[in-house]
Amino acid sequence: MKNKKLFLTAVLILALAMPACGVGRTENANTPVTLTLMGKKSDLAKSYMQSIFDQYETATGNKLDIISYEDSEFETEAAAKFNAGDVPDIFMHFNNEDLNRFDTENNFYYLNNEKWVSDLTDGARDYCTNADGELLGLPFWENSVSGCYYNKTILDSLGLKPAENQTEFDMLCQALADAGYTPICWAADGCSWMPQFGLDPVFADAPEMLEKINKNEIGYSDIPEVTNMVRWLSDAAGKGWFGDDYFHIGWSDISDEMSSGRAVMTFIWDTWFYTDFAKDGKYSVDDFALMPVFLNTAENGTYEGGNLNMMMANKNSGHLDKALEFLSFCADSKNYNIAFDGISTVNCFKGQTTNIQSEMVTDAADSIAKNERVSTAASRVTGYSAEDMVSALNSLFHKEISVNECVRLMDEYRVTQAKKQGMEGF
Amino acid sequence: MSGYYYIEEQGIFMKKFGKLFLIFFICILCISAVSIGVIYFRFISERIYKDSTDNLEEIYSQVNRSFGMFVERNWGLLESWDKSSVLLDENASNFPDFITKEKEYWGFSDFYFISSDGSFMSVEGTKGNMDMGEEWSELTENKEPVMSEAYPEGKDVTVFAIPAEHGAHNGFEYDAIALSYTNADMASSLDVDAFSGKAKCFIINTDGSIILSTQTGGNIYSNYLVYLKGASDLSEEELSALQNEWAKGSTGIVRCRIGDEDHCILYQPVSYRDYILLSSVPQNAVSAGFLSVQKITVDVLAAIFLLLGSVVIALLLMRGHSLSRKSKLELQYRERMFDVLSNSVDDFFVMLDAENWQVDYISPNIERLLGIPVADALKDIRVLEKCAVADDDIVIPKDELENIPLQGSRSWEYEYMHQGTGERRWYRMTMYHLSIQDVRKYILVMSDRTLDLQMNQKLREALNAAQSANEAKSNFLSNMSHDIRTPMNAIVGFSMLLEKEAENPDKVREYTRKITASSHHLLSLINDVLDMSKIESGKTSLNVDIFSLPELLDELNIIIMPQAKAKKQQFRINVQGAPPEQLVGDKLRLNQILINLMANAIKYTPEGGKIDFNVREIPSPAPQYVTLRFDVQDNGIGMSEEFCKKVFNPFSREISSVTNKVQGTGLGMAITKNLVDLMGGIISVESKQGEGSTFTVELSFVLPDQTHSEEWFARKISRMLVADDELDICLNIKELMRDTGVDVSFVTDGQSAVDSAVRAHNEGSDFGVILLDWKMPGMDGVQTARKIRSAIGEDVPILVLTSHDWEDIEAEARKAGINAFMSKPFFVSSFIQTIAPLFEEEEAKSEPEPSASENIMQGKRFLIAEDNELNAEILMEILSMEGVDCELASNGLEAVEMFSRSEPGYYDLILMDVQMPVMNGYEATRQIRSSAHPEARTIPIAAMTANTFAEDVRNAMDAGMDGHLAKPIDMNAVRELVGKLLGRK
Repeated sequence: MKNKKLFLTAVLILALAMPACGVGRTENANTPVTLTLMGKKSDLAKSYMQSIFDQYETATGNKLDIISYEDSEFETEAAAKFNAGDVPDIFMHFNNEDLNRFDTENNFYYLNNEKWVSDLTDGARDYCTNADGELLGLPFWENSVSGCYYNKTILDSLGLKPAENQTEFDMLCQALADAGYTPICWAADGCSWMPQFGLDPVFADAPEMLEKINKNEIGYSDIPEVTNMVRWLSDAAGKGWFGDDYFHIGWSDISDEMSSGRAVMTFIWDTWFYTDFAKDGKYSVDDFALMPVFLNTAENGTYEGGNLNMMMANKNSGHLDKALEFLSFCADSKNYNIAFDGISTVNCFKGQTTNIQSEMVTDAADSIAKNERVSTAASRVTGYSAEDMVSALNSLFHKEISVNECVRLMDEYRVTQAKKQGMEGF
Repeated sequence: MSGYYYIEEQGIFMKKFGKLFLIFFICILCISAVSIGVIYFRFISERIYKDSTDNLEEIYSQVNRSFGMFVERNWGLLESWDKSSVLLDENASNFPDFITKEKEYWGFSDFYFISSDGSFMSVEGTKGNMDMGEEWSELTENKEPVMSEAYPEGKDVTVFAIPAEHGAHNGFEYDAIALSYTNADMASSLDVDAFSGKAKCFIINTDGSIILSTQTGGNIYSNYLVYLKGASDLSEEELSALQNEWAKGSTGIVRCRIGDEDHCILYQPVSYRDYILLSSVPQNAVSAGFLSVQKITVDVLAAIFLLLGSVVIALLLMRGHSLSRKSKLELQYRERMFDVLSNSVDDFFVMLDAENWQVDYISPNIERLLGIPVADALKDIRVLEKCAVADDDIVIPKDELENIPLQGSRSWEYEYMHQGTGERRWYRMTMYHLSIQDVRKYILVMSDRTLDLQMNQKLREALNAAQSANEAKSNFLSNMSHDIRTPMNAIVGFSMLLEKEAENPDKVREYTRKITASSHHLLSLINDVLDMSKIESGKTSLNVDIFSLPELLDELNIIIMPQAKAKKQQFRINVQGAPPEQLVGDKLRLNQILINLMANAIKYTPEGGKIDFNVREIPSPAPQYVTLRFDVQDNGIGMSEEFCKKVFNPFSREISSVTNKVQGTGLGMAITKNLVDLMGGIISVESKQGEGSTFTVELSFVLPDQTHSEEWFARKISRMLVADDELDICLNIKELMRDTGVDVSFVTDGQSAVDSAVRAHNEGSDFGVILLDWKMPGMDGVQTARKIRSAIGEDVPILVLTSHDWEDIEAEARKAGINAFMSKPFFVSSFIQTIAPLFEEEEAKSEPEPSASENIMQGKRFLIAEDNELNAEILMEILSMEGVDCELASNGLEAVEMFSRSEPGYYDLILMDVQMPVMNGYEATRQIRSSAHPEARTIPIAAMTANTFAEDVRNAMDAGMDGHLAKPIDMNAVRELVGKLLGRK
């Protein structure tokens, strides 16, 4: 009896909802329309974005009204438009904390049932999915894999193999240190992204943990893996695995450290080798290979998938069908292969063939498939600040605070940031 | 001195040598200890290493044997299963259970069926490819059991396989069977987890490639030889040799350094193919047990050495501390002693660095001696220059001092002034140039020679004084010889003449008068000499009492005025200001001082000259004191500048044609000076020969409690009139009378006085008294008085104020209506004294003064106590001539007895000599006073003695006497005293 009532209620709601949903989808497919597309100016200026826009307009006769804002103004201006009810047909945004202000539940159409979803790589799909498992947008962006990039030439010369677990990674670090190398290039003066790799498995593998910390029900101190990571970093620094001068290593120094062979491993992403890695060093990109990041939070290590810009459809738009058509157009392998032709990126789509994908990533494809996580800590933990994490860790490395104090300090920073952002529960 | 320095140098050398020897000895000890330690520990280390490696080899031989047995066991197991029914039963349902049990028992991970194509199937049915590398052909082609690292199901395991009878299991055809071990299982089975897990154990090929690893948690090595090449300090040759050893199947240990640690690489061939059992163990882990023993040994030895060292150091420190403390104490004692010593002497010491003249030490008494703080002197010795009296000299002549040879010295003297007190003192400075432990120093000794110099000066002065005194006494004796002989000569001469001319009364009177005059002169000479002698012997004391300044001045006037008048000199007493009238002091001595000065002035001022005696008050040092300045100024012969300097010296008389005519002992001024000194005053003289002299005496007197005369005046007088042509005198009188409440009107001439008196009389308000100056221009005091009397009658008392002797005009004045005379200067007390009788007529009449001409001694009986017969005879003779009946007692006792025996009223008076045999006069008087005689208390007793000083008079009074007569007896004095005593009686 009770089940019957529930069923009837669901049918009623569905019956009421269907007409509303159908408003956007009953549009005449042959009538050219102009779709509004809002995004960050620099994002929209990417060549592959311009290419897909051109292809779409040419192929469909529809027009795209591109609404762009300067990078510094984008979040504020876009939020103002949304608050005023002026929501574009297509909205481009990363799936990070800032997206929360755009009321995804009420503004965007969930895309789980679109045909092209199966063509998405797991990492890309996971990135674009919210905590409830709803696919928010179509990832259309340069992808990358962050992991532990190591100098395989040096490892070979030492008769060493890449690590497959945390124990082996520790052995490897010690063996490299014993051989006179700096095992890990830890750029304390600029590696604000590195700690987040360790925290990704903590929150990606346990969404309930993410929920609790974002509700301020728990802190880092309540999560043993966080303390494990901090302790491991402290020990690693103490054992000399970061070298002697890591306090002064900044973003621009990583290339020199790695290309010279002074350091053997670093936690970075593949595209860095094509954009920032020195071309004239002792070692070239061909000398490097990829293994998971080991920060004592995942036994078999972890990779972090790229942060992807995604295109979301306004579910309340009168042009919802056209918008979904536009997304499907973008997700068509013929079209995206034209757009990403010659672009260095890890695949977002399984059918991507024209892009340039590094051997490091392809060689580690099996390992990546097993151990890749969506960027979770940096983008989804409320109040997370990469700079605050590094600040706390550097105090630890300077022996100003203990491991537990470092964790507490990270929490303090996080809570402070959350309060600044006016987040509920803080 | 040089010998001392030789010994000191030798001592310093010995000290230095001793220190060097001690340091050398300690160094040798340390080097020996370190060398022995190094040799010992090298030996121990080698021994430990050998034992460790032997131990390591033994451990891994055991591991090797275990491994061989392990391999054989696994193959044996497989062989046994190959032929068992369990395996042959293709569809045996109990096979998984069987394998599970076997797993639990033997510790392997999995069992696999392997087909001829290299694929496998696990017990659970999982299939895959079993990549066994080179071992595969050995298994399949040579049909040999193999052992290989493989990755079935993605697991990194070691597989043991044997060729099996072709068969099928659950449809999977197989030609070999295998079981696998994970690294952890291997390690557990082989029990290679030695050395606290720090050992890495591998089965490797002769090329170094890893066949299997027993490391827990995984393996990161692919080729250990390559790793050693990259990570160890082994050279290419050593690595090549190592590989050769492996190829030869040798057993050995290589020591190398990997990272920060020494490692032992042990290798042994295993009993399977040409595989090598290789173990890499940190040296510390290998030798841990031995090293702990070594460490304990080292610790114990180190502790022993440390303890011994600590004890030695402690002993050395204690000794050093003790020596240092002793040295410090000695130094402190010496410094303290030196400080005490230097504080108790008037010499001080400075030690200077010869290079920079920095003060190293200065004795603390510099502050006492020169008033320079020690800290200031320590900063810069040139601070002494501030104290130098002379400005133009350099106190410490550096240039000269630097020329003082080593061990030499130089002395000089300098006068310094104390910075605090301003006292000047002479110092003898002696600078010694020394070398103390090769450091040149100057030691400056400054000795206070002031006392020596003063002593010398005093000795010189004393010598001069003695010479002067001697000279003066010679002069005195000469003078005295002359001065005494002169009156004596006159006395003797006239006595002889008297004898010859006894019948001629005129001659007798003349000679007697001259003998008397000479006697008086002789007596005054003797008095002066005795007075001086007494003052100089310090036996003079002051008889301090309240006295009246006006009375004193009046008496002086009475004494001096006749003398001045006799020489037709003008004598004036001038009182300036309003000095207090009542003073506390020795009036007699003050009188003596002033009479001396004024008598001298009269003596050395020619006839018609002028003598002024000025009295004025000058600022006093304390409120209860008044200081008066007395000037005796004459326009006489004056003195030379030289004589002025010694006018107060005894026996000094200026020799000149004028002074030679003046009699004197030359003691008057000396006595005066001594009396002034005795009274705490100052006497000085200014004089110019031919122009006169001014003697000035300044004396301080205590002020008695003031007696107020205001009440007296309130009862008697309310207003008075003063007439004097000198306005200052009028103003002075008005000022003096201000406190009395009397309204003083004054005029400056006689007529105005008459007018004022008449006017007041007519107004019915007569003046209470009128005071007239005697000598006024126009109408003098007497004339003025006469006119006033005629105008207003006799009621108002009129007084004449004069600085002249009024004896000559007294009769005329009284006739003119003048009631009384007053001497200038005007004093309130004198004024009251003068006018009081006028207001109290009856009191004045009740005590009439006895007439001087009345012979009160006539018919009286005196008891004379005198031991000297001659004196007694003279006295009795003289008194007989005065009508006195005298009875003589030859000593005091006799006098007492005679008085005691006498009837009351029998004796009228006792004249008592003081110095008598049997009983002196004082004692006799006391006995008389204490006797039972009815007149014991009332009988007048007068001392009669040559002891004429104040204390003699006081002693006489204290003994109970009533008066004092000085010998030789002056009849006038006798008459006066007797009159006074008998009148009282």
